Amino acid sequence: MTFFSENGFAFRCLRPRPGIEWLRYAGGFSGMWLAMVVLAGLIMESNLPAADAVFFRGFNLNGTALEIDGRLWEGNGTSNLSFKGGTFENQAVLLKPPTDPARASMIRSSIWGGNADLTLNHIPEGSYQVFLYVWEDNHSEKIDLLVNDRPVLEGFHSGNAGMWKKLGPWKCESHNGKIKVSARSGAANLSGVEIWSGTGPVPQASSPEFSSNPSPDQVAFFESKIRPLFIENCYSCHSAKAEKIKGGLLLDSRKGLVKGGDTGPSITPGDPEASLLIEAVRHKSEDMAMPPKKKLPPEQIAALEEWVRMGAPDPRTDDTVAVVTAKNAIDWNQARQWWSIKPLALPERPAVKQAKWPVNELDYFILDRLEKAGIRPAPDAEKRKLLRRATYDLTGLPPTPSEVEAFLSDKSRKAFARVVDRLLASPRYGERWGRYWLDVARYADTAGDNSDFPIPQMHRYRDWVISAFNRDMPYDEFLKAQLAGDLLPASNEQDRHEKIIATGYIAAARRFGSRVDDYPQHLTIEDTIDNFGRAFLGLTINCARCHDHKFDPITTQDYYALYGIFNSTRYPWAGIELEKKQRDLVPLGKPGEIAVFEQEKSDAQKGLDAEVKRIEKELKAVEAVEGEAKKDLEKNLTNAKEAAHKNAVRQPPYDMAYAVSEGSKRQDAQVQHKGDPSKPGPEVRRRFLTVLGGTELPAEDHSSGRLRLVDWILDRNNPLPARVMVNRIWLHHFGRGLVATPNDFGKQGKPPTHPELLDWLASRFIREGWSVKKMHRLIMLSHTYRLSGEKSSEMSLHDPNNELLGAFPRRRLDAEAIRDSLLFLGGSLDETPGGAHPFPAQEEWKFTQHNPFKAVYESNKRSIYLMTQRIQRHPYLAIFDGADPSVSTAFRSASTTPLQALYLLNDSLVHEQARGLAVRLLKEKKEDSRLQLAYSLVFSRPADRDEIVQGRSFLNALRAGFQESGVTDDKIEMDVWQAFARVLFRLNEFVYLD
Amino acid sequence: MKPPLIRRRDAIQSLMGGSILLPGLLAELLAGDAPADPLSPKPGHFPGKAKRVIFIFSNGGVSHMDTFDFKPKLFAADGKTTGVGGGLSNQQRVLLKPGWEFKPGGKCGALVSDLFPHIRECMDDICLVRSMKSDDNEHYNATLGIHTGSFFFSRPGIGAWVSYGLGTVNQNLPSFIVLAPQMPYAGLQIFNNDFLPAYHQGVRVIPGREPIANLERRTKENKVQEMELGLAGAFNRRHLESRAGDAELAARMKTFETAFHMQTEAREVFDLSKETDETLELYGMKRGQSDGFGWQCLIGRRMAERGVRFVELVDGSSSHNWDQHGDMAEHAKHAKNIDQPISGLLRDLKQRGMLDETLVVWTTEFGRTPGVDGTKGRGHHSACFSSWMAGGGVKGGLTYGGTDELGATVAENKVHVHDFHATILHLLGLDHTRLTYRHGGRDYRLTDVHGNVVKALLT
Repeated sequence: MTFFSENGFAFRCLRPRPGIEWLRYAGGFSGMWLAMVVLAGLIMESNLPAADAVFFRGFNLNGTALEIDGRLWEGNGTSNLSFKGGTFENQAVLLKPPTDPARASMIRSSIWGGNADLTLNHIPEGSYQVFLYVWEDNHSEKIDLLVNDRPVLEGFHSGNAGMWKKLGPWKCESHNGKIKVSARSGAANLSGVEIWSGTGPVPQASSPEFSSNPSPDQVAFFESKIRPLFIENCYSCHSAKAEKIKGGLLLDSRKGLVKGGDTGPSITPGDPEASLLIEAVRHKSEDMAMPPKKKLPPEQIAALEEWVRMGAPDPRTDDTVAVVTAKNAIDWNQARQWWSIKPLALPERPAVKQAKWPVNELDYFILDRLEKAGIRPAPDAEKRKLLRRATYDLTGLPPTPSEVEAFLSDKSRKAFARVVDRLLASPRYGERWGRYWLDVARYADTAGDNSDFPIPQMHRYRDWVISAFNRDMPYDEFLKAQLAGDLLPASNEQDRHEKIIATGYIAAARRFGSRVDDYPQHLTIEDTIDNFGRAFLGLTINCARCHDHKFDPITTQDYYALYGIFNSTRYPWAGIELEKKQRDLVPLGKPGEIAVFEQEKSDAQKGLDAEVKRIEKELKAVEAVEGEAKKDLEKNLTNAKEAAHKNAVRQPPYDMAYAVSEGSKRQDAQVQHKGDPSKPGPEVRRRFLTVLGGTELPAEDHSSGRLRLVDWILDRNNPLPARVMVNRIWLHHFGRGLVATPNDFGKQGKPPTHPELLDWLASRFIREGWSVKKMHRLIMLSHTYRLSGEKSSEMSLHDPNNELLGAFPRRRLDAEAIRDSLLFLGGSLDETPGGAHPFPAQEEWKFTQHNPFKAVYESNKRSIYLMTQRIQRHPYLAIFDGADPSVSTAFRSASTTPLQALYLLNDSLVHEQARGLAVRLLKEKKEDSRLQLAYSLVFSRPADRDEIVQGRSFLNALRAGFQESGVTDDKIEMDVWQAFARVLFRLNEFVYLD
Repeated sequence: MKPPLIRRRDAIQSLMGGSILLPGLLAELLAGDAPADPLSPKPGHFPGKAKRVIFIFSNGGVSHMDTFDFKPKLFAADGKTTGVGGGLSNQQRVLLKPGWEFKPGGKCGALVSDLFPHIRECMDDICLVRSMKSDDNEHYNATLGIHTGSFFFSRPGIGAWVSYGLGTVNQNLPSFIVLAPQMPYAGLQIFNNDFLPAYHQGVRVIPGREPIANLERRTKENKVQEMELGLAGAFNRRHLESRAGDAELAARMKTFETAFHMQTEAREVFDLSKETDETLELYGMKRGQSDGFGWQCLIGRRMAERGVRFVELVDGSSSHNWDQHGDMAEHAKHAKNIDQPISGLLRDLKQRGMLDETLVVWTTEFGRTPGVDGTKGRGHHSACFSSWMAGGGVKGGLTYGGTDELGATVAENKVHVHDFHATILHLLGLDHTRLTYRHGGRDYRLTDVHGNVVKALLT
C-alpha cells in the first residue's frame, strides 16, 4: 500500500520485514521498543539513495513512432497503450515556443476530449514518474488532469492556439501493470507521454549554451553579417534608443539577446528550429512576422540561422538591458511628490483685506483668491433662494410654503443654521446624498451579465448606504464596512448583519458573459479594482492590468498585488445563462437557524436528485420502446426535475445578503501578462500600492487580506481618502469639485483650484471624526455658500468659469430631483422607504442572452428606489442623464436635448402630476390665491404683478377656447389649471436652481 | 352668456408673437456666446464620400458558407471528414453541406447563394468582405463588439460616434435612430452614447402609434399645447433677462421649439401615403403596411433623406434570429424576410441619386461553423464571416478577402471588426485615430487602440 503526501512524494508504508516479524514472533515486547524499530525502519527507508530516474517509454499519441531527444517513442498500433477519446491532428499550426521537428510532430497529433483516458499497459510493478505533453490548437480550455484517478493538476489553462507544455513529473505506481492518465472538464489535447522509472530526479535535457568565447572567425561572422542586419532592420524597435521598445526585446546587446522578450527567449542556441527569432524572420506566423513590413531576403535569413547554429556568438559587452530598466524604473521619491500623494498640509488661514466678510475659516481661503483676482464677491442670496438651494441640496426636494414662512419669520442669526440642522435630520437627506455614493459605486439591481440577472437582495446594500448617511456614520467606518465588514468586530447580531450587507459594495462588481466553467472572474476583479481605486483613492489602478500605468506611479505588480486580495474573496453568484440560480450568498440568520435550514434543504435535495436519477435510469431502460409508459416516465422526469430545481432555489426563513466572504483558497496571485489570464507570470505578494508604502500582507496572515487593505488605505500617512471624500462633498454643494476630476487625482486629472483649502478641509474632516454632516455644516454655514448667483463684470473678465466661487453657480436639478419634485408637487410622492423590488421568483428564472431580464417597475417612491438595470436603462433616467450603472459616476452631466422637452410635453407622469397640482390649487377659492399658491409651491416665492396678469390672460384665453369647443363648465377649471401647471413644470426656473 | 373679454385669437397672438419662442433677443444670444449646438453639422477630418449611414444588423450569426462565401469543398463533404464545429466552434465535427446553390450576380459575377436572389442582382453596387473576423463567440459579446468595438465593456456605439463626429443636418430629428421592433442581444448598450454626451444616444423607433417615445401630443387640442408653450416662452424670457446671457438657459428654450416641431416632422417621416406604388413594391410592401423589414428599410431611406446621420435597422431580435444550431433550413425564412427589402433599399437609393452619399452596411455578429452542430445545424464561428457595404464611396462589384477551403479561418486579407469600423469612419471623412473623447483620463475611440482602414475597399 502506498500513500502520498501533499506534494506527491510517495513513501511506502511498512511491508513486514524479516526483522520485525521475528520480533513479533518473539512476542510481548514493549510497544515503545516496537515503535522505535518501526521508526528506524522508516528512517532507513527514506535514507535509501533514490535511484536516478531512467527513461522507460515514450508515446506519440495518435502519431507514428519516432525519435525524440535521442530516444525511441512508440506510436499508433502499440499494445502498450489503449485510450478513450477522439483523435486529432493538425501539423499546420505553429507552435509556441517553437521546437525541433520530431517533438513538434509529436505535439501536433493528439488524443482529445473532455473525458479522455490513456491507459499505459504492460508496466512492471514499481514507482514511476510521468510527463504529459499537452497542446492547444484553438481556444484555451480549462483542464483537470489525473494520474491513476488521482488529481495531479486542476484548472490548467491550455493557452492560445499553438501553445504547448510538458507537464509533470507526476509520481505514481503501476497498478496491475497499468498506469492511467486522464483528462477531465475542458476538451484537452494530449500529445505525448513520457514514463520514467525510479523516484529520483529526472535528468534535464542539457540546455544549450550561448557561445561565451567566440572565435575570431565567429566574431567576424557576427560583425559582417549579423550586427549590420540588426542595426538596419531591428534597432528602430528593439534597441535602447528605440522610441518605444516593442515586445520587451532588446537586440542591441548580448544581455538583451539572451534575456529575450515578453513572449520568451528569442534564441535557443544551436537550434534555429526552436528559436523564436528565426521563426519570426521566416514570416510563418501572422502574429510574429519580423520585420513587420517586409521579409528579409533569403540570404539574410540563412545567415541568422547559421549564426544561431553556431551558438549565437556575440562580442558585445554593453548592458543595454540595465540601461533600459533604469530608464523605465519609477523614481518613487519623485513620484511621492505628486500633489495628491504628498502629506496633508496644515495651512494657516490666509490674511484678507475685507476682514468682516468671512464667517468661518473656509471663507478666508475663498476670499483670499477672489481678492487676488480683483473680484468682489456677489451680494448675499435672498432668503427664499437660499432656502430653496439648501433644501434641494440636502434633500432633493423643494421647500414647502410653511417651511419658507418659518425661515422668513425667523430673524435670529441662527435661522439658517436651524434650517441646515432640520434638513440634516430628515430621512430625505440620506436618500439624496446616498444616491451620490451609489453613483460612485455604480449601483444596479442586476448583475450585468449577458442575461442581466436580477439581484433581489441588492436593495439591502442600497438601504444600508442611505441609513449610513442618515446616521452620519463616520466615513472611515463607512469605507471599512464596505471593504471588510464581514471581518470586522460587531457589537450585536444586527450590527453584524449590517456589516455583512455593507460588503455588497464589492459584490456589486459587474458580472460578464454566460458561462460558468469559463467564467471570466478576472474581469469581475478588474471591475472591483477599477471602482475601489477611483471611489476611495481617486486613482485609476485598473489601467495597470495590462501594463504599467502610462502616467501615474502604479505598476502592473501593484495591480496584481491587489488582485490577489480580491481573488481570495468569495463573490456571490447571481445566476447566469448556464446556471440560472444564485449561490454563495451570505445568510443573515442565527448560526443555529442557518445550520438547521441548510441541513434540511440539503437532505431534501439529495432525495429529489436521487429521484431524478432513478427516473432517468428507468427511462433509459425503455428507451427504444415508444408508448404510454415512456410518455408517463418523461412526464414524471420533468416533474421530478422541477421539484429538484424548486428545492434548490428555496429561500430560507432568514434573509440572505448579496455580500462577499472569505474565499476557500486564499493566496497570492500571478501577474497576467498583458492582462491575459492564460499567460501567467510570476507571483506577487499581496500588498498595498508601492507609491503609498507597499506594505505587505504578513506571512502569518492567511486571510484574504481585506482587513489589512482597509488599514493600509486608512493609514495616517495616506492623504488620499480624506482629500477624495472632502472633494466629493464640496462638489455636490457647489456643482464642481475643488478637483474637477473627482475620480482621478492622478496626472490625467486636474489639480485642485484651491490646494490649501482642500488640505485644510481634509485635515478638518479627519479631526472631526470623519463626520460628513459636520462637513456639511461647515460648508453650508460659510459666507461662500450664501452668495447669490449674480456674476460681476470682473468675474466675466477674470474668472468666466467661476472657479473662484465669487458667486453661487446656477445648476440644473438632476434626474432624481426633477422626478421627485414632480411627484411631490402633484401630491403623489410616496415617502416610505424603498425595500425590495417585485422581481419574479427565482424558480421562474429562465433568462438567457436571447431572453434577458427586462423590466420597468412603476413606483411613486423617490427615484433612488427605482429598479435600475445594468444592460437596459430606465427610460426616464436615460433621458435626464441618470448615472450609467456600468461605470463609476463622479458627477452627472446636464445635457439639454429635445427628448427631454418631449418628455415634459407629453409624458403621462408629467400630465398626472399637473393634474395633482391642479387639484391642490383648486382648493383655493380665488383665482389670484390659486396663482400665488402655484408660485409658492413650485418656486417658493410669490408671483409678481406681471406674472399674475399674464397668468390671468392665459387662463381666460384657455377658458374661452374650451368653451368654444364645447367643454362643460365643471371640467373647464380643471383643464385650464392643469394646463397652467404644465406650463410651470416646463419653465427653466423649475429645473435651474439659482 | 357674455362674450369673452379677450378674444381668443388676439390672446394667442400676443403670447406667441410670431415664432413660438424665439424673438430677437434669444436669437442673438444663440448666435453669439452660445455653446455651439452640439448637434449642428460639423466637418469631418477630411472630405468623405459618405454623408450618412444605414447600418443593417442581422442578429444571431448569419452562416457565411450558406450565403456569401462559396466553399466547393463543403459541398463535397463526404459525411466523414471533420472540421471545426459544435455549438461554440470548439469541437471537431462532421462537415455540413451548405443548403443552397450559389450563382453569379451582376456583371461582376460575384457568387451569392439562393438565400439572397434579390441582393444577388445588386452585387455590382456591393463591396463584399469575406474575411471578417471577430473576437468572441457569444452573441452578447460579439454583438457588443461589432457595435461598440469592445467585447465586454460598455462603450458608445458606432452610431453615437458618428453623431459625435459629424452632428446632424436636421435639427428636428435625432441624429442617430434605431429601427428595432425588438431588442437585439446586449440590449440598449449597443445604441448607447455611454460617455459621449446624451444627444448622441440612439433613439429607438418601434412601429406603432408612437414610434418615438412621447412623440404623440398628449393634450387633445393642438392649440392648447401651443398656448402653453407660448406662456412658458414668455416666462422663460423674463427669467433669462435677469440672468444675463446664460446660454444654457437659452439653449434649453430652443429644445422645446425643436420638440414641438418634432411632433409633426417626426410623424411625417412615418407617413407613407405619398410614396408611390412602385416604390412600395420595390420593398415588397403593401399599401397601408406599417411593420415588417420592408417598412424598416423604407423608413430608413426616408430618415436618410431627411438628414438623419446614422440609421440602424435591426433584423431579428435576441430570441428570434439567424442562430440556427438545430436546423440550418430555417435560414431560409430569415433570408426571405430581408432579401427583397434590402435590394429595394439599394435600388431606391440609387434611383434617387442618394446611393453615392449613403453608406449602406450589412453585417452580423459572427459566422457559423463548417462542422455541424447537432445533426443539421451550425454553431457560432467568430474566426471568419462575411459582411458587405454599398454606396458612400466603396468599390462596388468587389469581393475582398477570403477564407480557407472550409470557411473555417481567414486565409487572406483579414478584416477585423476594428478594421471594419476604421473603414466606415474613413468613408465618412473621419480619421478613426483622431475621433476621440477624453473620459476618465484617457482618450477613447471606437477602435480603441486597434484598427486599420482597408484602402482596397475605397474608390
